[in-house]
Amino acid sequence: MMLGWLRFNRRKADLDAELETHLRMAIADRVARGESEPAARAAAARGLGNIAISKDVTRETWGWLFLERFGQDLRYALRQMRRSPGFATTVIGTLALGIGAAAAMFTVVDHVLLQPVSYRDPSRLVLIQESDGKSPQGSPAPWLDVEQWIRQSRSFQQIAFSSGLGGRNYLEGKTTFLEISGQSVSPDFFDTLGVQPRLGRSFIPETPGYAASRNAGLIVLSDAVWKEAFASDKNILGRVVHINNNPYTVAGVMPPGFRYPANAANLSPQVWVGMQLGDRDKGRDWNSDHYMVIARLRPGVRLATAAAEMATIQKRVAAQYTDPDQRSQASVATVKPYADTLVDADIRKALLALLAAAGVLWLIASVNVTNLLLARSTARQREIAMRGALGASRWRVVQQMMVEGLVLSGCAAVLGAGFAFASVRLLNRELTRHLPLPAPATPDAWILVALLGLTVVSALMSTAWPALIAVRAPIEPALKQGGLQTGAGRRHHRMRGALVSVEIAMSLTLLVACGLLLRTIWSLRHVPLGYRTDHILVANLDIPTFRFAGRNMTQALYEPLIERAQHLPGVQSAGLMSVVPLGGTFTIHLQMQMNGYAILSFMKAVSPDVHRVFGFKMAAGRYFDAEDTATSQPVVVVNEAFARLYSPDKHDPAAIIGQKLLNMRPKTPTRIVGILDDARQRSVAEESMPEVEVSIPQITPDSNFYNALEGIAMDLAVRTERPTSGMIPELRDILRQASPELAHANVITMDQIVEDSYGSQRLAAHLLEIFGFSALLLCVAGLYGLLAYVVTQRTREMGLRIALGAGRGNLLWLVMRQAGVMLLIGVAVGSGLAFASSRLLRGFLYGVQAHDGWTLALASVLLFLSGMLAAYLPARRASRVDPMEALRAE
Amino acid sequence: MIKRSTDGYRNRIELLQGTLDMLVLQTLQWGEQHGYAISQALRTRSGDVLQVETGSLYPALHRMERHKWIAAEWRMTEQNQRARFYRITSEGRRQLARDRSSWDAMVAAIGSILEA
Repeated sequence: MMLGWLRFNRRKADLDAELETHLRMAIADRVARGESEPAARAAAARGLGNIAISKDVTRETWGWLFLERFGQDLRYALRQMRRSPGFATTVIGTLALGIGAAAAMFTVVDHVLLQPVSYRDPSRLVLIQESDGKSPQGSPAPWLDVEQWIRQSRSFQQIAFSSGLGGRNYLEGKTTFLEISGQSVSPDFFDTLGVQPRLGRSFIPETPGYAASRNAGLIVLSDAVWKEAFASDKNILGRVVHINNNPYTVAGVMPPGFRYPANAANLSPQVWVGMQLGDRDKGRDWNSDHYMVIARLRPGVRLATAAAEMATIQKRVAAQYTDPDQRSQASVATVKPYADTLVDADIRKALLALLAAAGVLWLIASVNVTNLLLARSTARQREIAMRGALGASRWRVVQQMMVEGLVLSGCAAVLGAGFAFASVRLLNRELTRHLPLPAPATPDAWILVALLGLTVVSALMSTAWPALIAVRAPIEPALKQGGLQTGAGRRHHRMRGALVSVEIAMSLTLLVACGLLLRTIWSLRHVPLGYRTDHILVANLDIPTFRFAGRNMTQALYEPLIERAQHLPGVQSAGLMSVVPLGGTFTIHLQMQMNGYAILSFMKAVSPDVHRVFGFKMAAGRYFDAEDTATSQPVVVVNEAFARLYSPDKHDPAAIIGQKLLNMRPKTPTRIVGILDDARQRSVAEESMPEVEVSIPQITPDSNFYNALEGIAMDLAVRTERPTSGMIPELRDILRQASPELAHANVITMDQIVEDSYGSQRLAAHLLEIFGFSALLLCVAGLYGLLAYVVTQRTREMGLRIALGAGRGNLLWLVMRQAGVMLLIGVAVGSGLAFASSRLLRGFLYGVQAHDGWTLALASVLLFLSGMLAAYLPARRASRVDPMEALRAE
Repeated sequence: MIKRSTDGYRNRIELLQGTLDMLVLQTLQWGEQHGYAISQALRTRSGDVLQVETGSLYPALHRMERHKWIAAEWRMTEQNQRARFYRITSEGRRQLARDRSSWDAMVAAIGSILEA
């Protein structure tokens, strides 16, 4: 290539010399024939014709000319950019912004919603669950039901099932204990997912049943566990490893990245153990094990077909339940694509809405740039005409304009790619907080390439098109009349006005969405939570149960921990709670019978002092106190929601005090002694659900629920008078003293927990703020650009009007009116768009209607005023035209 | 090939596509020539009817050079001027023979139509 180019340059010099020789010979000939020297020179030059064209045409035969022209055009384009840096910056910045935002959102959505799992042919994997047919949430099924599904269904190639190991699980590694999360899985589990171990083998194929399984005691490790606990030891196969002191033989190691359940990115590294069905699988009640069921559709079987088949089967299955409550809980079997179940519906909606917003921003950016380039090319009609007059061919001019477009969009593409990387990284940090899936860290290459390609093509088109029109226009009038309007010019204006209106409409849509979310966040922040959140530090403890096997954790772990925490300097009070409000780390659901009610409630273990940390208020009765001990009367406290639903006297919730609930200790009925005010438990937007609280000092290893209440998770909350950040090291110290594993606990302020609980709304609001503001900026810039151009084009007309007696105010009004019309059209169309699109947002608005008039009005006014402001500058310029100068200039 | 008809050249005969190549090759049959001499030779031999423009001649020369029908080198003329001399190659001779035979065939065909 380089060599060719050098040769090209040498030949160019050759050609110049050759033509020079030709000219000299022709002159010499003529002089020899008796012509005078100057006459001969002129005649010879005429005979030679247009030398530049001769050279061009000749060079074209060498095949290198395009490169030379490209180089010229490139230099010219760069010169143009230097001459109007404002224009270049606007175009490049606008495009880069659009590309960056769109590439980032497309990447995230593609990764999270379209291809979140790495199993073979994941679109055929479905989750089968039981439900009461009303709540959207399904639940796992007991073995007896799964067995029926396997026997009776025809839609599935395989049906595999699994259940979590439960509790805290610590695997004894070479040097340390590693906390793991495990699933006990059916034999064809890995076949169903279509992934085989990288090392060793998966479980032995067999029909699941009560007989002793050959897979019992076998374990398959994830790559992460293999690396962390066994330093990637290739000889691990066949070795015995211990989880909570139970022995397992290693059968295989899965490939890196394999994960099941897939939405457990935030959890500990995983293992899978062979399943042994047992006595607990012989019934269908609360005591039996329940399984997550994942099945692979037969090739060609549609989801709807499978769902219909399962509906028929489940009718027969449900009929076999004896308990009417449980029968209703299992009356329907739902079949959902596995990938769809991984992301919460509201996160999914948030992502889609943000995707749409990013797409709209990209559109606005493209439209804006098209408009700017159109304006510029049209303004350069005179220049183009001049080049035509000097002999440039049409194609040559168009080519040159296209190179300019290419340079601009090329710069934008590079910058946009940079933006995309930055924003994906930004999103990644936000997303990993809200998503159970690993979020992408870099933009998807294909998406980036596609977007860049589209941008470059659109920029090329918007530069080439006006150039094409310009070169087709007759040269003479353009040269003669300079900036005067032609018919094509007016058509351009109308089109460009329409483009600006489209931009305004789309911007309004984004602004309205942004406004709605800001109001949602505002509403959420003003919901009375029912407790204090300031000056509280929370540590999320994963309880290392194996260290306390055979001991009473109340005495061995919790009471000393509170004692130490309360004596830290600056601590006013300290308490324990299974999970702090809005914590979302761990939930215990209580299902039981009381006074003929089927009770469904949250359950928490708390220490008596915790109400002093959070300032919970009592509606009636009392909270736990120091008198409630392991030997005294067992008591519980419920919340108002619980009392309202389950009180024996419908009209007096307080009548529930003194009622018997649970059997905390065998044969000793537990009594309700108090009712807590309602408070926000799981989300700020959610009304209170029934809740039962149990006092930790009253819990002993022989209590019911001992393992659930004390053996899984606990939050330590302290109220301090010092800045919370200074407390953290001391808090970790006392945690380490309690048990070494706890030193790594996550420590977070309560205020942050509340902030994080806004989750998807906050993420969406932040991004929409950025998108909305960018859109506003872009469309103001677009409007300004158009009007400034129009005013420049009409300088002479303006001067004429003034000379004929038009007032300056009239001229100001003339331009402002034009802007006003575009803005009004844009706002009108945009209102419609916003009205239609805000339905998409409905799912995660709070305290504001999707069709909120005030938000729409405010956004419209904001847009209109910014637009008029942008129009004012060119309008003022128009009104200050000096008539003499304007007319003389022509 | 000879194109860009501007008003000054009304009397000129438009050469058929490819004909210029044949004429140039034929001219080079008689010996090496530089561009100016080729244009002069074409003009005088046609009795001033054919005026080959530089805008056609040099592209044609360079194209034929690319096809290796002719070869070029810089040498001094008798007037001691540096000029680029073109020489026909054996490939060029074959090309000329091909052009000649198809030209003859065409002339014969056109002639028989006109005389019929």
